[in-house]
Amino acid sequence: MEEKKLPDVLKKETSRRDFLRGTATAAGGALAISAIGGIAPKKAEAQYSVQTAPGTKPYAQKYRFAERQNCTGCRSCEFACSLFHTGNVRPALSRIYIAKYKDMVDVPVMCWHCDDAPCIAACPTTPKAIQKDPKTNGIVLNEKICLGAKCMKCQEACPAKYIRGNPDTGQPLICDLCGGDPQCVKACHEQAGNPQGPCLQGRPVGIGVNMAFRDVTPEQAGKDLANLMFYPNVEGKRVVPAKSKTKKGR
Amino acid sequence: MATPKGGNFGKVLEIDLSKQTFKTRPVSDEILQQYIGGRGLGAYYAVTEYKAGKNALDEDAFVFVGPGPLSGTMAVSHRTCFAHKSPYTGLMTHAETGAHLASEIKFAGWDGLYIKGRAKKPVWLSIVNDKVEFKDASKMWGKTTDDTHEMMVKEMKDPEIRTAVIGPAGENGVPYACIIVERYRAAARSGTGMVFGDKKLKGFAVRGTKYAVPVADNAKFLAAAKVNKDGNVAGEAWEGIKKWGTGGLMELKHFLHGSLIVKNYQTTWFPDVVKVGGEEAMRTFWKRHAACTNCPTHCLKLGVIRSGKYAGMVAEGPEYESGGLLGTNLGMTKFDEMIALIEACDAYGLDNISTGGVLGFTTEAVEKGALKPTDLDGLKPKWNDGDTYMEMIRKIAYKDGKAGKLMAKGVRAMSKEIGKGSEAYANHTKGKELAAHDPRGDKIRAYSYTMGTCGGDHHEGQGPAALGMTAMADSLCVCSFTNFLVYGTGTDKVVTNMLNPLCGWNWKPEDYWTTAKRIMTLERVFNVREGISSKDDRLPIRMYKEKLPAGPRKDVIFTDADQKDMETKTYGFFGWDAKGIPTEATLKAYGLDYLIADVNAAKKKYNL
Repeated sequence: MEEKKLPDVLKKETSRRDFLRGTATAAGGALAISAIGGIAPKKAEAQYSVQTAPGTKPYAQKYRFAERQNCTGCRSCEFACSLFHTGNVRPALSRIYIAKYKDMVDVPVMCWHCDDAPCIAACPTTPKAIQKDPKTNGIVLNEKICLGAKCMKCQEACPAKYIRGNPDTGQPLICDLCGGDPQCVKACHEQAGNPQGPCLQGRPVGIGVNMAFRDVTPEQAGKDLANLMFYPNVEGKRVVPAKSKTKKGR
Repeated sequence: MATPKGGNFGKVLEIDLSKQTFKTRPVSDEILQQYIGGRGLGAYYAVTEYKAGKNALDEDAFVFVGPGPLSGTMAVSHRTCFAHKSPYTGLMTHAETGAHLASEIKFAGWDGLYIKGRAKKPVWLSIVNDKVEFKDASKMWGKTTDDTHEMMVKEMKDPEIRTAVIGPAGENGVPYACIIVERYRAAARSGTGMVFGDKKLKGFAVRGTKYAVPVADNAKFLAAAKVNKDGNVAGEAWEGIKKWGTGGLMELKHFLHGSLIVKNYQTTWFPDVVKVGGEEAMRTFWKRHAACTNCPTHCLKLGVIRSGKYAGMVAEGPEYESGGLLGTNLGMTKFDEMIALIEACDAYGLDNISTGGVLGFTTEAVEKGALKPTDLDGLKPKWNDGDTYMEMIRKIAYKDGKAGKLMAKGVRAMSKEIGKGSEAYANHTKGKELAAHDPRGDKIRAYSYTMGTCGGDHHEGQGPAALGMTAMADSLCVCSFTNFLVYGTGTDKVVTNMLNPLCGWNWKPEDYWTTAKRIMTLERVFNVREGISSKDDRLPIRMYKEKLPAGPRKDVIFTDADQKDMETKTYGFFGWDAKGIPTEATLKAYGLDYLIADVNAAKKKYNL
């Protein structure tokens, strides 16, 4: 690519936050700009705050994104989510969860709030047991109508294989964005420790992005991430030790 | 017997490997208030159920795997404690590890696992909520820790299980074998792996989906837990740990403190540390940060070796201890070879610290002529020789040949066996190798090595108060990095503010200290029954005899005055007499009256 054809955003010095907002593809942006081992922003939480300016209202978080490379696997998102929705810390009931891949990488598995919402399309009841709240973009479950474990058409339809069953009721665990203030994003920002910055982010727009990220299973996402970070040993095989040369000692 | 109002379920899972049965062992709120959980509760079971001189490898000897009351709550708590009698030192011992195991045990509805008995054939345990299955481990036997973990994940078809397994070292009865949790974290320094191996227990996997930890007063507890979390996030001192893990301490302790060990504690000056320390790791190795449950400190660093003969090696570290013991302690200047040694220990399930201590001691013994290559199957260990060290580690894990059998005994037994003046550089306390802090450069660390329950351990607390706070942290199963190392002596308030609304207790900050002293004294009584007194609370001979030859602490020595001062302060703080024996008044004050007869009998028996 010739220099003059570079898009403006690559030429001028853009703060990381502006860059992310400009493209609204946090997940994709991570590939371009996250260099592990890079210089840590001094106050990561301040940079990533959903507050547009001090004293103003936070903007609506209708979509979430994940800088997957930044996930430390601490699961504070799971804790916060289950606490908010059930009053107890019980990650099995969390609407977001961390999938480990070969104990090398941690992948946040979450609802992308797809605009075409294949899960809602697949819901067989009338009216639909899962519906989008037009205000918040969260998906709300009507527990009275939902057919639960014997149906789970939503689970089959989810392109990210994100939806889990509630171990108590069998109904799907699905993300309602906590009514516009996702607790997982908050919890991730409150950890604020990762030198690379937090993983989860909430954004007001997300149309047309994330398709490549949502259309993979958690396992594939783990493989992708391992490939990205741990190439050439993407399977995480232990290089040492070689097999025991001795026949004794078993 | 009151049931706990919160924080605990009041039930411990008791597993008998001999009969392949399990049952619920109730535990009352009164006991939990006195001994908390984890280390304290494990010590309570050991003191009350064992007689003096109990064989740590008896069939009915137990390992107590404890989370604490704060595990699985919004507080920052993620340690799991393995408490038992050590087959290595013969003393009460506790091994802590991080990862996600502790909260998973709580979500499965248990306050701890009490594992006893001995299986006839290798087994592993699957614990899913209330259901316990004894599974055949014959295919896993002999496998490395990561392979075993993957096999368990595959068999349970659930990547979210949390595992604790042993490697070949534990199976073969190496007394410093450890437990590896989720591939990269170790519960080490106690020989827990040997006990598991003796019980023919390859490991266990836990999955908890059914329970949440009950909380007596949710609103108050959440506020207190937030204070705990925020204190960790705001703690500027820990920015370094967040970014560098403990690996970054290698350079810091070397250049500033003069306490990073070098070549079996011969010196603390080794400028080549820059080739194997945290900076090198940051520059060429680390790829990501990994955290334990709900922890903002994410001190674990994972990386991949990108060139050379170990290209593609995905590994964790160096941490301060692993990089110290298997790096500078062995004079290593090649980063990839050092990481490979660490990886090999983790794969075989060997304690990095003790293994490093043994390798360092063996090298010096060969250097000084006390050992000959013929004693070591022809191996000629010398500093910075990664390939030979790799082969030695393999020999230890499999107890292979003369060398493997000798080195698997540990430094104390080795020096006894080979003699020839090797006692002068056998660096252990109470039979356990010292960690990577030279007590001449870091004198306060001597408290941890000598006064702690386990002996030779770097993580028992620096100073009398810290010994107590560590006892509390290990019983609450919280990490010192997120607990008293952040809050200092204000920890009592932070902890009681969390415990009261969580458990429905009425603790005052003084109760924190009483409990800390109770747990320390309880463990001390266990050790006194085994014949331990002030004569054993000593550093290796080298620390009193040889001045540091170079570095920021050049010419410093650990003097008898230092020793006396340490003894007076510690024994005074906990209410023990000049010989380090808890007095009758102390035992009464902490509600340990039931141990007075034991202490008196031990005093008589060992003439204390």
